[in-house]
Amino acid sequence: MTRAVTIAAPRRALAAWVVAVLACTVIIARTEFTADMSAFLPKTPTPVQQILVQQLRDGVVSRLILIAIEGAAPDELAQTSKRFAAALRQQPDAFAAVNNGEEVTLNKDRELLFRNRYLLSPAVTTGRFSGAALRIALEEDLQLLGSPAGALLGKILPRDPTGEMLQLIAQFEGVARPEVRDGVWFARDGSRALLVVQTRAAGYDIDAQERALTFIRTAFAHVNETAASSGPALLFSGPGVFAVQSRARIKADALRFSLIATALVAALLSALYRSPRVLLLGLLPVASGALAGIAAVSLGFGSVHGITLGFGVTLIGEAVDYAIYLFTQITPDATPADSLARIWPTLRLGLLTSLCGFGAMLLSGFPGLAQLGLFSIAGLIAAVLVTRFVLPALLPPGFTVRAATGLAPRMTAIADSARVLRYPVILATLAALFFLGSQRGALWSDDLASLTPIAASERALDEQLRRDIGAPDVRHLVVVNAASADAALASSEKIAARLQTSVEQGSLEGFESAAVYLPAAATQRARQAAIPDPAVLRDSLREAQRGLPFRAGLFEPFLSDIEAARTQAPLTRASLDGTALALKVDSLLVKRNGTEAAAGAWTAMLPLRGVMDATVIARDVQSAPDSEGVLVDLKHESDALYQTYRHEVITYSLLGAVAILLLLLISLRSVRRVLVVMTPLAAAVIITFCLLVLGGNPLSIFHLVGLLLVVAVGSNYALFFERQAANDAERERTLVSLVFANLTTLIGFGLLAFSKVPLLHALGSTVGIGAVLSLAFSAVLIAQPRALTVQPA
Amino acid sequence: MISGSRRSVRHALWALMFATSALFAAEPTAWGIDQLMQELAQVKTAKGRFVERKTMAMLNAPLESSGTLVYTAPGRLEKYTRLPKPETLVLDKDKLSIEYKDRGQRRTLALQDYPVIWAFVESIRSTLAGDLATLNRFYRASLAGSEEQWRLSLQPVDAKTQTVVKEIHIGGNRSHVRTIEIIETEGDRSLMTITEDTQ
Repeated sequence: MTRAVTIAAPRRALAAWVVAVLACTVIIARTEFTADMSAFLPKTPTPVQQILVQQLRDGVVSRLILIAIEGAAPDELAQTSKRFAAALRQQPDAFAAVNNGEEVTLNKDRELLFRNRYLLSPAVTTGRFSGAALRIALEEDLQLLGSPAGALLGKILPRDPTGEMLQLIAQFEGVARPEVRDGVWFARDGSRALLVVQTRAAGYDIDAQERALTFIRTAFAHVNETAASSGPALLFSGPGVFAVQSRARIKADALRFSLIATALVAALLSALYRSPRVLLLGLLPVASGALAGIAAVSLGFGSVHGITLGFGVTLIGEAVDYAIYLFTQITPDATPADSLARIWPTLRLGLLTSLCGFGAMLLSGFPGLAQLGLFSIAGLIAAVLVTRFVLPALLPPGFTVRAATGLAPRMTAIADSARVLRYPVILATLAALFFLGSQRGALWSDDLASLTPIAASERALDEQLRRDIGAPDVRHLVVVNAASADAALASSEKIAARLQTSVEQGSLEGFESAAVYLPAAATQRARQAAIPDPAVLRDSLREAQRGLPFRAGLFEPFLSDIEAARTQAPLTRASLDGTALALKVDSLLVKRNGTEAAAGAWTAMLPLRGVMDATVIARDVQSAPDSEGVLVDLKHESDALYQTYRHEVITYSLLGAVAILLLLLISLRSVRRVLVVMTPLAAAVIITFCLLVLGGNPLSIFHLVGLLLVVAVGSNYALFFERQAANDAERERTLVSLVFANLTTLIGFGLLAFSKVPLLHALGSTVGIGAVLSLAFSAVLIAQPRALTVQPA
Repeated sequence: MISGSRRSVRHALWALMFATSALFAAEPTAWGIDQLMQELAQVKTAKGRFVERKTMAMLNAPLESSGTLVYTAPGRLEKYTRLPKPETLVLDKDKLSIEYKDRGQRRTLALQDYPVIWAFVESIRSTLAGDLATLNRFYRASLAGSEEQWRLSLQPVDAKTQTVVKEIHIGGNRSHVRTIEIIETEGDRSLMTITEDTQ
């Protein structure tokens, strides 16, 4: 009876494992893999932050690609820019707008402004077209005709004697624009021709962004074919570009590091096991863990981020440890089940402490980090279950690790002599503590940018291109929420009136508003109402013209234009299609996603330039009647965001550390033993921290998470060291298993230190250093009494 | 292909220019546009009174205005109109500002946004500065007359400017500019006569 049960149990475990693997495979086959940058922005930001995050995901801002052409003489760059832009305009399915400063787009904009000047001009109010007002306007025109600007006015004067077009153009002046040379945009120093391209696809649609970039590259190569051999070079940047580049880099990193890690671990294990079958068995928990991890993330988050796959490399180094502990501990005279029973409590405790560490990541308000946490938790649990229930049944009978017997005495000798280093290690730790204590606050990066998976060089290029293109560094903006687009525009107008007084008083340089290009419907109707009946206007004009030298009938075009304006349908967003103004409006007036979208919630943004005193402007904005505008300081918001973030991560890391301590207290039932286990870990964390600071990089919250993982992972070593061995042979085997487990962990995390993705690099370098130090310090600091019991015969 | 053939044309032009300059190098340098420009470039400041008369199709009587002009080398030109209404125009580097004192209005234009106005003002400023390179960017220049009484004719290069300006004639003697005549494409014309202040 008992015998039947013991045989059936492994079979059931095997069957359960096969089913689980199949289930995971099915889930993974249906999984969507993303590289969405907003995974690295917080999950629960304020409404303002939500808008910004949404803008980064699919707003116009996310669709812009900044392009520069450099490396040739200005005239060649200008020629290339024109041909290149023409080639891109051939792809209307990919690009909604291609702007290189050429008149093509400019003319369309001007034409639209001119056609709708009476609805757009803020000067059109009651009385604007009275006889007296017209008289003043005509006298001014006469004066303007005498000046150099008269040549331009001349053409439109008969259609626009009150100068509405000039009014409109004046509104746009002062907005930073790139310099124009040879008819196209250039950087101020003339070294680069510039283009701005808007993709049809949203920034988060990485496949579409990648296609757009391919279009850009091929179009440029094609245009360049016809130019000189050493033609100009192409540079581009933008949110979509970042997403594509990051995904490619993460993909490459994940694949390369996984292959290298697998190869290294396999080489190491075949040296240890000397059996291909056991080697494969040893990798079984890893593969199972990886499957379980990806499936869990897919179920938990709906999609798997590329970075999570990259992080999977560490699982190779971690999950293989359990098999190493098991295989190395099997003596020739014991069954796998007996050996397992012996090490199981320690193994389980090690797993639980690791889970505490990754659990802290899971709880952080950071979708990217949470995925890594869930991935590791599911992966490690699966790996341990496979090690515990599946592997023993599959091991060849009489299996033992021979290398263990060979290496063990030497390792034991090293471990025993390691105790000599006790005081130097304690001294070094104290010195490191003192060093860290003496640092003045600059230990942690305060920049939200430290969290992005975008390389510093790419960010620098982006900033450079933005400066070249004259895109202002938007720091302050007024945000207005409303139930409809029109209501948002109406509110913008009220706020704009307030801001205009600030501009006149000199406390503000200028601002932008969607309502400038698309006034609220009511405003447009009011302007139409301010236009007199044709007969009245004709009389007023005749009156105004008396005594002035204007030719008779000169202003007939004006009379017909303004009558058309008086009766035309108001402008809508659709009227702007095909112009750069549409782009402007779409970037300043957005529909909010999420739950509020059903209610049709809209947001208008008014970016401010040259804010002298933010508090004064904030007060002005708040006092605008019937509108709920809020002045937002983006710098402040992003700083606050980062602070919240760091605070959260610190809290969860501390909770994770406390959980590990409690776990150890409960399991070890002795404060003294907990202290013994924690001392080498604390020393390892402190010295790792110190080494990272000495490395010169400002530390991000990823390093902090890494330090927690050092405790979570390193506790495995300390626990095995601290465990009272039954005899010397067992102690020697334990030591061998620890060294190999440590090496594989080092391979997994150490490889990530070479990743160009900041998050992976930070975690990899921190845990890599910390894991090695944890083992070394455990050997040095944990006094291990030789087993007193006599070896059984 | 396009730039290639253009390049070869440019090469040919260079070769031709080199050949002709070598041919005439031996001759004593005749008075020409280079000499005129050099002479004009020597002038550091100039001040004068102007009378401008504009004839326009839109108006049934010509417009007359008068005031003073002040030029400061290399790039600043101020035009103070007194009559019929006060108006101040200051051209400095790449900015043109217009001020109407009686209305309390002031506007500053970035010249690069208004290529035609830029071409307009540059015809006068570059001539005063003796800046042939800039002048050549906007116009094909030809010189007639003698050092004592010269006439510089400028024809716009840019197609857009051509739709507005047909020709500009600048007349003077030695390093003094005396008249500026602008003939617009659609027939409007203006003539500015400058009498230099004795300084």
